[in-house]
Amino acid sequence: MIEIKNVTKKYGDKKALDNISFTVNDGEIFAFIGHNGAGKTTLIKSIVGIHDFEEGDIIIDGVSIKENPLECKKKIAYVPDNPETYEHMKGIDYLNFICDMYEIDQETREKNIKKYASIFEIEDKLTDTIESYSHGMKQKIVLIAALAHEPDILIMDEPFVGLDPKAVFDIKKILNEMIKDKKIVFYSTHILDVAEKLCSRVAIIKNGKIIKSGSMKEIKGDKSLEKVFMELEAEK
Amino acid sequence: MKKIISLTKATMSNDMSLFKIYSKNNKLQKIAPLIIGFYLMIMIWFFANTLFEKVAPYHLQVYQLTIFAFSIVIMTFIEGIYKSGAILFKCKDDSILLPLPISKKTILLIRMFKFYLFEVLYNSLFLLPIMLAYIRWAGSLTITYFITSILFLLIFPIIPIILSCTIGVITSSVVANFKHKNAMQTVLSLIFLIGFLMIYTNIDSFLEYFIKNIANINEILTKIYYPIGMYLKLLTNFQIIDVIKLLLVHSIIIVIFISILEKFYFKINSKTMVVRAYKNKTNNVYKVIAHNQRYSLIKKELSTFFNTPVLIINAGFALVLYLLIVLYITIKIDGIMNILTNIEGIKITKEILLKNSSIYIFLLVSMTSFLTSITNSSISLEGKNINILKVLPIKPTRLLLAKIESYLIVTTIPLWLGIIILYIRLKLSLIDTFLLLLLAILLPLISHLIGLLVNIKYPKFDATNQTEIVKQSMSSFLSVMIGMLLIALTYSIVGPQIGKIKPHIILSLAILISSIINIILSVILIKIGVKEFNKLSI
Repeated sequence: MIEIKNVTKKYGDKKALDNISFTVNDGEIFAFIGHNGAGKTTLIKSIVGIHDFEEGDIIIDGVSIKENPLECKKKIAYVPDNPETYEHMKGIDYLNFICDMYEIDQETREKNIKKYASIFEIEDKLTDTIESYSHGMKQKIVLIAALAHEPDILIMDEPFVGLDPKAVFDIKKILNEMIKDKKIVFYSTHILDVAEKLCSRVAIIKNGKIIKSGSMKEIKGDKSLEKVFMELEAEK
Repeated sequence: MKKIISLTKATMSNDMSLFKIYSKNNKLQKIAPLIIGFYLMIMIWFFANTLFEKVAPYHLQVYQLTIFAFSIVIMTFIEGIYKSGAILFKCKDDSILLPLPISKKTILLIRMFKFYLFEVLYNSLFLLPIMLAYIRWAGSLTITYFITSILFLLIFPIIPIILSCTIGVITSSVVANFKHKNAMQTVLSLIFLIGFLMIYTNIDSFLEYFIKNIANINEILTKIYYPIGMYLKLLTNFQIIDVIKLLLVHSIIIVIFISILEKFYFKINSKTMVVRAYKNKTNNVYKVIAHNQRYSLIKKELSTFFNTPVLIINAGFALVLYLLIVLYITIKIDGIMNILTNIEGIKITKEILLKNSSIYIFLLVSMTSFLTSITNSSISLEGKNINILKVLPIKPTRLLLAKIESYLIVTTIPLWLGIIILYIRLKLSLIDTFLLLLLAILLPLISHLIGLLVNIKYPKFDATNQTEIVKQSMSSFLSVMIGMLLIALTYSIVGPQIGKIKPHIILSLAILISSIINIILSVILIKIGVKEFNKLSI
């Protein structure tokens, strides 16, 4: 479970996150939506331990990220909005590196790398250096790295950007498999119709504040998520 | 014109941020670079004063000034050899600039201008105090001295930059055809660099001629390097026609260079950007291998190092020079002894030299170590990947230690190699050799700890290319300055003790002092460095 409790993050005098609180339960795919600059990436980076925050706390399965960041990080996998990798490394070396950092045993990593490389059709590219990859391929290698250590919580920032339709389809399938195992998927997106179909719960952020959160049904009612979002955005 | 000014402003705001300081609140962090820069200028002023004083009785001050200027021109050229390739090619802002409706010549000019401006600023750090020191020893000075000096501060870097850019273009065009571009870039740049150094250090006969014909020095300097000769001429006999001639010559050189380079620059640039996936047709099978965190982190660091040509050359310069000196000593030890024992005014015997040889080796090792701070770019080179590291379930201390360990491997191996060669050649005592081997770990460790601390405090994540990080960042500038200070301190403390205290005692004391410094720096890294590292993010 992810518990976000009264989190406030400032850049100088400006509040990027303003007293944010909500919970993501096990077995949920949680969509986090908002306009550009609303604070989505800032919150995601705070959850995964990239950003520090001034007030509040983030609790991962009962452990505070502020007090025991390593314990929390072991459970999380993060997929950034731009695929950040070590370009000079070969794809397989990068995957081995990430697995080494999570101390994944030989058997598990072998099984997972083979499985996901095959799903994303990248097996024959793993011996190439990452700098020779296209944007989509880099995104795939980051996804494989995230999934290879079997995280309890998968946090993604705009995961579908740059991916081909088949890869998007495959990811959706993988995410659905994950929630069957009671894992958590938390992701930010601008593709609202995918979020509407895929996610059980949603939070909408505007100017650093959560303006709506709850189950998908509660939030959208009979309307589409897009319409609800546009109405909320129009409100002052 | 408006377009060019706007473009220059935009690229400068990003690339020339040498003095960009991230913390707005920490006054010390703001002032420290200025203090160190000022300190460096004072040090150079003192050094220049001493030399001017020595040549003053012979009325050679003006020649001394031009020799200083010539040395800085050489420095600009040497630096330019390995900077130019990275400054001109594979720039991150290609994707922004190339689609814009501006001529390619303009883009090329802006890139050259950036390089030029940095060199003017950097050279000024050295030349200004020298020019100021000259005032004291010049006797009567007229306003033309100041005009000439300011003019030449701007003129001096032009030709070295054009020459080094030519080498940069040649290496990049050759490298573009190879599979391992980074390795080739490193090898070619090192070949040019070592080649130049060998030519430069093998001009004994020329120097002899130079000394004998001191009266014709103007003519000689003009022959070697036209602007230096002209500088001397203008200092002694200022003629406006010469100034016009000088400006005209440089303008023509710039126009010719840009016109030629423009023709094939973008072809080479696009070739260098192509990354082909070369494959071994028979071996397309990937290997999944588990290692421990420490091994994997060190492997990653070394992989970054060996894939960053400018970093290898920057670090390798002092190490290669060290090995060349070791080889020179090994081959020509008798010749060196003869020269040293025959210097007038210095009473030194071969026995004294041999007895204290371990101290001279210690000084050589310390100079190499303090000039080789690879870690001062290691945080900046992570760029956006710093976020990958911060997400991983590893203690920041472990991450930072891996950087230190990796670069200790890079520096200590050549240092040990040199010490072992000299142990055999000079028949050093076992105890001295052991102490030297220990110092070859402890001294680079000081350098790496300082470099890492400085880089955590002054990271540069927005560089357009790796050269800006390795050579033109606040972090590299500060560590070089601190390194020079440490060299000066070591030499000034150890130098006077040679012959007075037994070598193994000096070496033991050096081990004790360097261990204490390392412990203090490690504590600072763990207590403050980790905190600062946690604050880093993009």
